[in-house]
Amino acid sequence: MSFFGFDTTLPRDRASHAAPHPKQAPGFSQQRDAFAGLSRGDSGGGGGNNAEEGYDFEDTYDGLGDELDERDDAFNDETFGGSGAAPDKDFDFFGSTAKVADAINEEQLLYARVPKKAAAQPAQTQQRQTKPAVSYAAATKPKVIQKHVEIPDIPELKPEMSLWTTTSPEATPAKSMSAHAAAHFRHIEAQEPPQMKSLAGSLAPSAAPAAAATASATTRKFKSLEEVEAEILAKKQAKMAAAAQVQPPPPQSIQPQLNQQLNQQDGWPIRQMQQPQQPFPQISMPNQSMQAQPIQQLQMELPFPARSMPPPQQSQRPPQNDRVPDHLQRGSIPGHLPFQPMPQNQQFPANNMQFPMGMMPPHAGQPPFQGMPPMGQPQIMQMTEEERNKFLEEESKRLKRNHKIQQLSRYNGLMTPSDKNFITRIQLQQLVSVNEDQFNEDFYYQVYMAIRARNNPQQPLNQFAQTYLGQQGARGGRARRQDNHLLRMQQQVQRAVQAAKARPKASQLVLEGSLGKISFSNVKTPKPLLSIKKQDSTGLANPDPKAAHSTFAGIDRRSILSAAEDIYRCLLDLDSHERKHPGSNLAGQQPDAATIQWLETRDAMIAKLWRSMRIMEPIKAESKAPHPFIAILSVKKAKEAIPRVFRYIDLEQRITILTMITISLDQVDVIKDGRYQVDAVALSPETRKKIEGFSQYVLPPLLSYVSEAQLSVITGLLGILIDRVNVLVLSQTQIGLAFLTMFTSRAEIIKQAGSADEMEVAKWTQMYDRLFSILEDHLLDIFPPHGVQVDDMYVWQFLASMAVGANMQQQQKMVGAVKDRVNENVQASKTLPQEMGQQKLANTNLFLRALGLDIDLLLAQQ
Amino acid sequence: MLFFSFFKTLVDHEVTIELKNDLSIRGTLKSVDQFLNIKLDDIHVVDEVKYPHLSAVKNVFIRGSVVRYVHLPANAVDTALLEDATRREAAAQANKAK
Repeated sequence: MSFFGFDTTLPRDRASHAAPHPKQAPGFSQQRDAFAGLSRGDSGGGGGNNAEEGYDFEDTYDGLGDELDERDDAFNDETFGGSGAAPDKDFDFFGSTAKVADAINEEQLLYARVPKKAAAQPAQTQQRQTKPAVSYAAATKPKVIQKHVEIPDIPELKPEMSLWTTTSPEATPAKSMSAHAAAHFRHIEAQEPPQMKSLAGSLAPSAAPAAAATASATTRKFKSLEEVEAEILAKKQAKMAAAAQVQPPPPQSIQPQLNQQLNQQDGWPIRQMQQPQQPFPQISMPNQSMQAQPIQQLQMELPFPARSMPPPQQSQRPPQNDRVPDHLQRGSIPGHLPFQPMPQNQQFPANNMQFPMGMMPPHAGQPPFQGMPPMGQPQIMQMTEEERNKFLEEESKRLKRNHKIQQLSRYNGLMTPSDKNFITRIQLQQLVSVNEDQFNEDFYYQVYMAIRARNNPQQPLNQFAQTYLGQQGARGGRARRQDNHLLRMQQQVQRAVQAAKARPKASQLVLEGSLGKISFSNVKTPKPLLSIKKQDSTGLANPDPKAAHSTFAGIDRRSILSAAEDIYRCLLDLDSHERKHPGSNLAGQQPDAATIQWLETRDAMIAKLWRSMRIMEPIKAESKAPHPFIAILSVKKAKEAIPRVFRYIDLEQRITILTMITISLDQVDVIKDGRYQVDAVALSPETRKKIEGFSQYVLPPLLSYVSEAQLSVITGLLGILIDRVNVLVLSQTQIGLAFLTMFTSRAEIIKQAGSADEMEVAKWTQMYDRLFSILEDHLLDIFPPHGVQVDDMYVWQFLASMAVGANMQQQQKMVGAVKDRVNENVQASKTLPQEMGQQKLANTNLFLRALGLDIDLLLAQQ
Repeated sequence: MLFFSFFKTLVDHEVTIELKNDLSIRGTLKSVDQFLNIKLDDIHVVDEVKYPHLSAVKNVFIRGSVVRYVHLPANAVDTALLEDATRREAAAQANKAK
């Protein structure tokens, strides 16, 4: 690649690399060439081309001559009058023109220069200041070369490449924006994902132009730098060939491109912008690096459409072509390595050999594509055996790597920047929702995975980490290596998210004069929902929810259900509040303010939960309707909520619930519907489900409370039960018996443990006697009818708990009452299938054991 | 996002997707996105005789909008949690509507 942007690719190379897409075409992983127009203007305005570039015929010959069809040239003589006779001078326009050719060319030159000069006055002056050598050289160019230059331009006109390139923000330096450029940038900004913005903003001012410079632009800057360096070297080393200056070696052009491509393979397009800035601060020629900025700036201001015409030299450049061989050549530039550490060094250490200084004689004049690493034979010869081996090894390593890169880069440029932006935006939006509140947007997944993680600590976390870019990945040891990487990414995402949040969101767009609205969809609402205005005053059964709250009748199902939902709402709030726990304090430490506040909020929420259960509402003796709490408890989901409520409420509230249920036990649906109808074989399935739900959800928390209660509490509860509830009815239901069993067995445990004093025990015994006297004549009624088919374990459990606490007389009465039943069961167990029979015997045995007997004795008797 | 969140937990479970064109595909759920597009692996069509041309297909990407039903593996669904998630979603919706 040459300084002024002409294709120095040899025709044969060009032909052999038919690229699918011209490398120059922007938008395909190319950054905009901000200097393209300028250099063109330069060559045009300067009236010709660089004298010192000294084109080789080989370099500039386009190969068209080879394609001429010369088969039919045989008759040219006939057609054109033969070659023998000297042509008449009549038509010798050239001959006469040639006499004044110089003058004409001079005129043409002047004409070409004047108007542009006027338009681009600042640019010209600036240029003169910064790089006079080039400008002067341009002014003194021989005219012939100009023709040569203009011709290849024509076929390579590309339609408005700037259309593509404008979307890349890197093209505009962040700081040195002119008004025009600023407007342009704002336009870009609007399209960019926020992440890009934050990055662009974070670029250092000096880095900005560097980042702004596109691959080829940087290239050209390097070129001029190389020229200067080459000059310096030429002074130092007299043997430096003149060609080195005339045709600056292309290799440097590769660096940015290569970087870019490598970055893309990495999958992190962001870093594209960070890379090119690196060479700049390291360059030892300050004026050269300065140059980039003003020119860039000027270009934005220039009225003529410099950018619309791409520099010709790259458009035919096949992508694979310019990478590898050029890259190989990099090592051959003398004097470069000491001056300018390659940016790739940082990213791909293995990729870049540091050649010892002076090991390589100048090779700069070498044509770009030799198919061989430029490290010529002579150098290898000069090396020691060891060095040579090392060199060859590294060389092959590098070749392999390049090959791999080439393989991987086959699909480079398939996506335009806007495609990538689109993808990035989707991903970012995903992350936004993740970052916001995981449990808000993704509640089910998060909790489900958390639960599974608790059960199986290894596997789900990885999946979790994968799903969220390793957000929690630091926890697993596997992700350690990528921590830094991920951390950076996370920070970027956070910044991007903040930027996204700061931007006001419009969900609809109403164009002036249009009849409808345009709704935007986003990741959360892929398709806009129908927005139906809720009419607050009409249609709703309860216009005022507060009023409904106080006048809760507990009768209609709707209000019961909504009351149950209230409980759940409070529970969910509490749950999410629990997750925000500020962190466990060390023992002995004074709780900090956050913790105190958290606890206060928690208390308030628990109070709200307590209210939502409506348990403290007074019991209306005269009303037939059950107490609100009991009514709410009749729905399944309310039953399911009880264990969760018990987690939050304190002991006193627990006993309140227990008391409330005990007092209104005959109104609880499972008791009310739990009695067997006359000659009904079994309960209705609905009731069975309810009973199951009650014993699954409500009983266990109650039981866990009772199992720690004092004897006095038990005695009290049983007293209330006997006083207020029809125990006979109770005893005929499963749940009723379960309650009685619960009390009696707990009392018995306390009694046997001997932890209660005499008076308590005496009181309990009194209460027990009362219970027994109520039940003793109806002991057979507590069995479900047709008990053979039904699971009657709960009955035997109850009998066992009664028997344990009974005195001798009571025991005898019990045995007498249920003796037939026991025998029946034993008989039935023989006819039933093995498993069920065993179950029946075991149940019966519960009772017999409590009496100090065993079923085996009975079986042995028979 | 509830469904997205829910389906994410079913990844690597076997599901049956019933499409609006009455095609039923059974396969391992590999991935799902916020549009409820679905990627299935190791698929087989439930009615192989009727759709022989699909017997050679090993994996599919199903656009979310063409799905009629997803048959779930019951043991992979935490019903109580799903209820809570639904409540939260409803509450969030109600908050948004205000």
